[in-house]
Amino acid sequence: MRWLRRLWQKSLTERRLDSELQFHLEQRIADYIASGLPPGEARRRASLEFGGLERFKEECREARWENHLEIFARDFRFAFRGLVKDRRFAFISIFALALGIGASTAIFSVMDNALFEPFPYKDSRHLVVVRIHDRDSADREWRGAFLYPELREYMTQNHVFDAVVANLEDDIIYTAGETTFRFGGDYVTPGTFEFFGVPAFLGRALEPSDFQPGAPPAFVLRYATWVSQFQADPALIGKTFNLNGVSRTLVGVMAPRFAWGGVELWLPRSPDAVEVSPGGRFRHYWGMVAHLRPGVSRREAEADLTVIAKRLATLYPEEYPKRFSIEVDSFAHAVVPEQFRKILYVLFAAVVLLLLIGCANVANLLLARATTREREFAVRSALGASRGRLIGQLLAESFLLAAGGAILGTFIAWAGVKTLSAIMPGFTIASETVIEMNASVLLFAMAVGVGTVFVFGLVPALQASRSNLQDSLRDSGKGLSGTVGRAGLRNAVIVLEVALSLTLLFTAGLFVRSFLALQEVHLGFQMDHVLSGRIPLPPQRYQNAAQLNSFFRPLLTRLKSVPGIAYAAETSTRPPYGGLRSVVEIPGKTHAEQWHSLVQLCSEDYFSVLRLPLLDGRSFTETEVNDGGKLTVINKTFQRRYFGNENPIGRRIHFRVLEDFPDPVKDAWFEVIGVAADAQNLGLENPVDPEAWIPYTLTGTGMRGLLVRTTGDPTSMINSVRREIWSTDPNVAVAEPGTLDHFLNLFTFAQPRFGLQLVVIFAFIGLVLVTIGVYSVMAYSISRQTHEFGIRIALGAARSDVLKMVLRKGLQLVLLGIAIGLAASFAVSRLIVSQLWGVSPHDPLTLASVASLLLLVGLIACWIPARRATLVNPSAALRYE
Amino acid sequence: MAQEKVELLKGTLDMLILKVVAAGPIHGYAISQRIQQISKDFFQVPQGSLYPALHRLEEQDWLEAQWKDTSTGREAKFYALTRKGRKQLETEVSNWERLSDAVALILRTAE
Repeated sequence: MRWLRRLWQKSLTERRLDSELQFHLEQRIADYIASGLPPGEARRRASLEFGGLERFKEECREARWENHLEIFARDFRFAFRGLVKDRRFAFISIFALALGIGASTAIFSVMDNALFEPFPYKDSRHLVVVRIHDRDSADREWRGAFLYPELREYMTQNHVFDAVVANLEDDIIYTAGETTFRFGGDYVTPGTFEFFGVPAFLGRALEPSDFQPGAPPAFVLRYATWVSQFQADPALIGKTFNLNGVSRTLVGVMAPRFAWGGVELWLPRSPDAVEVSPGGRFRHYWGMVAHLRPGVSRREAEADLTVIAKRLATLYPEEYPKRFSIEVDSFAHAVVPEQFRKILYVLFAAVVLLLLIGCANVANLLLARATTREREFAVRSALGASRGRLIGQLLAESFLLAAGGAILGTFIAWAGVKTLSAIMPGFTIASETVIEMNASVLLFAMAVGVGTVFVFGLVPALQASRSNLQDSLRDSGKGLSGTVGRAGLRNAVIVLEVALSLTLLFTAGLFVRSFLALQEVHLGFQMDHVLSGRIPLPPQRYQNAAQLNSFFRPLLTRLKSVPGIAYAAETSTRPPYGGLRSVVEIPGKTHAEQWHSLVQLCSEDYFSVLRLPLLDGRSFTETEVNDGGKLTVINKTFQRRYFGNENPIGRRIHFRVLEDFPDPVKDAWFEVIGVAADAQNLGLENPVDPEAWIPYTLTGTGMRGLLVRTTGDPTSMINSVRREIWSTDPNVAVAEPGTLDHFLNLFTFAQPRFGLQLVVIFAFIGLVLVTIGVYSVMAYSISRQTHEFGIRIALGAARSDVLKMVLRKGLQLVLLGIAIGLAASFAVSRLIVSQLWGVSPHDPLTLASVASLLLLVGLIACWIPARRATLVNPSAALRYE
Repeated sequence: MAQEKVELLKGTLDMLILKVVAAGPIHGYAISQRIQQISKDFFQVPQGSLYPALHRLEEQDWLEAQWKDTSTGREAKFYALTRKGRKQLETEVSNWERLSDAVALILRTAE
């Protein structure tokens, strides 16, 4: 570390050098005195002989490396001053570079975390899920979950997996004294925790002994739930909890990122036990995750599983489509919805282009600056600057630009990742996903950006050493409007930038329009002031219609008497989704194809809660609901489609699905008593389907929920509703309570809004970059033409003529870019058509507005430098170098 | 100057310094005195060449320097040969010998 010390003790080195030379001088004097000279004469002779002390010192210094450091520092000071002088250039280059680096890193980090590496699990790249596809259906996917006997076959008969685990989601009712809460829970098969290889955060994970028949009931908790619901109390380990009526011991809290299935707790499930008690659904389908054997491809796995599936299809014919195929897909892929994946890929392509465009801008700016500095470098090399020294200075300048861009870019990337992970809709990515900045991507983006700066930053040095010095001195900087050559490349970059920007803006515009259209959908009912919640009833005590009624009837009566609650109703699904699909039959109607309708189980106040108007007839009375009258209210679409102009009141309808229920409705013929207005019942994007409402008291089967219309703020009533539920039955909890607005936001608007926000951000960045691009190229070529403008003005051209000439040239490029961009937009909009709703992928209004926006931006970017050029005094311009 | 002084051949100064230093640690002034003495005042080493040369040799790790007291009690910078320096001296001496042999041969036989 000698060099470090020397750098540190630079003054010491300097002092030492002094005293060494001083010593020499003194010895010389001493020798002269010894030979008999008088001291004065000795000193004079010695000094004369010695000569200029400072010059030796400089030569000694140059022999040392510290000196190079000084030259280096001087280069930096010089470069810094140069950049400060050309502030606009420096700022724009750094900004363009930083935007490219930052945006690409942020998006790629999100993609990488969400799509490629979302799981903290052991060897998660080899985890796969299995799906059955219907080859005759358009949307193909049939199911990705399996009945328990099927599961056992797939687990034991395959030759391609080394481990398979499965989970069954269920509502877990937790009773603690007076209160009852609902958790989302997963029953898991033995080996699950070894399979994922994630240790417990506290206590232990579930072990093989927990799965043995007769083992003491145990469970583990999710970290986030432990923190939010149990105040992260470590003393809870070993305590027993009453879950679904079983007293279970909490044995561990899982590591923070363990969130398999997105549930809150995991319970062991012995593989030999018969079906888990039904929670209101007809059949239990298990999710399955498998680990591929090393060297086995997904195709091979599909072939192997198809053999098993063919056999199972003969055993459970109703569970398999006529012609099916088996797909083995990666676990990570399966969790992120396909549409969302597509958005991310489109964005990724956009972001790579942004990085390239950012670099192209910087290259452009550097080239432009290089050309205007040709003369400066020619002078310098004429004055004796070596090529090495010129390169050194340019390197220093490039380094400053690159460092500025890299630092600002890192900041933008960091802020971008933070923003994206905040606005990303939670349910579109795996619960395990942690979005964080990807360091290697950041490095890659930086390398591309920094590389561009260095390569193009050195151009002046190459020119200075290659070009004829005299030529450069004579006519550098005096370009004419027709100058070609490097200008061609610059113009191409402009055209490309405009085209890309137009594509991005157009995509963003389509997303905005489609989002606005979604929000303007007429729901048909009034969503405000409505609370909703699912009521998972303990299956042991609530199995048939009478038991169900014994809970809901008193609850509805209680709720209606609570101040602040206007109406309360039972429902089987949450609007804007309607009930179960059923085959319907109507006497006297013959038709080739099957008729379908949604069937919704409800109580008498359903229509009042949603303010859904009745167009004809009447709704149920309380008595009719309580008695389980076989009456039905149909919607307008049902009437129009199946009754046409006939009066449906008094007609009879058969709903076949009700007879197939585990708690069946025998002889499911219903009399129509009313027609309700149409309301969205398949989400916002789809047209209204025929729908029929029947009294909920007819069957004990199916999920149940509450709809409550409040007079005041609905969220403030959640606890009142909870209290009434507990006083009806202390062992019942409400699941996912919240306002209808909230759910609509969460499930319907969150994903389009995210796509929208991302694309708008991108379009904005693209627009900024294109402005920089057009501006820099125009400013540069105009600065080269100042001389020419001076001549033109001196010869009598009006300033407005010059301005027009410049604008015309700039706009030609912008228009060409717009034309290419239009073609590209049509290609891209075809890719995102599945994301659009209520707007054509070739929407002319959007197209026209983004094209005009770009034209305007291009015009301004040309106009600013053009105006400055024409304001120059002609005599000054003629002298301009 | 009274006597005729001969300019050192380029590159030979380094070799001479290394050779002188090889005898043992020695300071800059003594090096110049020794070269002058041994060559019987034939070579005059100007300070302007000596010190940059010393610093260059030190930078190349052929010499190492240490501050020590002289016999008169004054502190001076003493240079000593490193192992690398010794090797360098050997190659330079053998190069020099081959060169001077060749030159001598030409001078003797070309008459």
